[in-house]
Amino acid sequence: MEAERILEEAVREAGDRIRAALAMRFRDLDMAEEAFAFASLRAVETWSRDGPPRDPAAWLYAVGRRRAFDLGRRAKVRADAVHDTPEPEPDPETILMAAFEPIPDERLRLIFVCCHPALAPEARIALTLRTLYGLSAERIARAWLTTEVAMLQRLTRAKRKIRDSGIRFEIPSPEAWGERLEAVLATLEIAYAQAYEDAAGAGDAADLASETLRLSGLLVELAPEEPEVLGLAALIRLTEARRPARLDETGAMTPLSEQDVGLWDRRLIGEAMALLRRAAELGRSGPYQLMAAIHAVHATRLETGFTAWANVVALYDALLTVRPSPIAAVNRAVALAEAQGADAGLAALNAVEGPGRLAAWLPYQAARAGLFAKAGRDAEAAEALRAALALHPAPAERLFLERRLASLG
Amino acid sequence: MQYLLIIYGDEALRDQAVMQEIIAAHMRLGAELQEAGAMVGGNRLRSSDTATTVRTTGGVQSLHDGPYAETREQLGGYYLVEAPDLDAAVAWAKKIPGGPNYAVEVRPIWPVG
Repeated sequence: MEAERILEEAVREAGDRIRAALAMRFRDLDMAEEAFAFASLRAVETWSRDGPPRDPAAWLYAVGRRRAFDLGRRAKVRADAVHDTPEPEPDPETILMAAFEPIPDERLRLIFVCCHPALAPEARIALTLRTLYGLSAERIARAWLTTEVAMLQRLTRAKRKIRDSGIRFEIPSPEAWGERLEAVLATLEIAYAQAYEDAAGAGDAADLASETLRLSGLLVELAPEEPEVLGLAALIRLTEARRPARLDETGAMTPLSEQDVGLWDRRLIGEAMALLRRAAELGRSGPYQLMAAIHAVHATRLETGFTAWANVVALYDALLTVRPSPIAAVNRAVALAEAQGADAGLAALNAVEGPGRLAAWLPYQAARAGLFAKAGRDAEAAEALRAALALHPAPAERLFLERRLASLG
Repeated sequence: MQYLLIIYGDEALRDQAVMQEIIAAHMRLGAELQEAGAMVGGNRLRSSDTATTVRTTGGVQSLHDGPYAETREQLGGYYLVEAPDLDAAVAWAKKIPGGPNYAVEVRPIWPVG
């Protein structure tokens, strides 16, 4: 029991480091996974018998390396196929002598490999969470509403592509850095959005939200000079901070402007604000910093009691210049309505170019309903609410829209 | 590693002047690949209406007039390059010229021996 507790603690503390170091040492994700599993198993056996080692993490790394070395010798195929052949592994004696050498921090390299833009976006986060944090395929599959079998296939395919297509286990070259970093950030953004979709926030995707939050913090630690990395970490924190206030006691969605700020997570907001300040000092703006800044304006309501809507509009204008999207345009129209009145908002909303037919797009109809209601045009608001309800909103939003419709009488 | 960079493009809508420009750009890219020691080979193909497909079905072979797949974007040429990794191969692929719409597939060569 004691051995298992110590193992758990060591894995929580250093599991990501050990997994990443093993993967990089052998340039093989499957082998690293197997070696880590072997070391964990061996740890419980050995530690129960002989007592725990002085440095459990270093012990796991040493045994994992030894195992991967043996596996590699047995397989002995890849070396000629892969360009960047690892250095030859020292003999077992040397490994034992060096058993307590510090574990190299290869986590950033591993993240870059797992989030390579040549991999399918939905495979990237799964691969990252699996190889870095050891999440089971089953847990990841649940968060993505797919089956374990499908998830395993996705992971296997991605690992095969990494192995056979010449994705290097290296930090990207300066020429490729921008595109590669963008792929990493997009991976985290998509994963967090997926987790956020689950409005209740209590289900399986909440798990994914906390892991994504953790991963974004790790990325800040590993690439502290990249303002967009800081921006994304701030964005995720600001959004996550509001999770406790997103639903009322009946399970209905509570819009941002009506949320009880007392429920917001002040610690996360504080972290996010500090990240944004650091990002600003680096002097290179970008979409993640802008999105985070919009959320930061909202978060300021916690201190001031009001929202500076004109600032929100200005930030959306900037965001639409660097990264135009229909959802940002809709949100800008809603902010404009707060800043300049419902008519201005409705005019802006009418000018939005949506994905496909606007009338069949839920965020558009929901925003329209809100703006008509604000303008006192109840009949049109009701019509928009009915249109929105016909577009299959998630349960929490459905409840909210139904209540709005009922209140219009 | 070696990579085959396979160019798929629209064969119609080819303006002569534009075509000349693209060919010149290919020449420049070829020189750059040579310079970098990355060029293994490459060719432009005649249009897909000159293609003949030999198909084997259940062991029986037959000839068909036309390319393997009748799609709007057709295989128009290829480069075979030597590149240290996928990022480098993709960087070459991005330099391949074409019209406003085309695609370049990057495929690692299966190493022999």
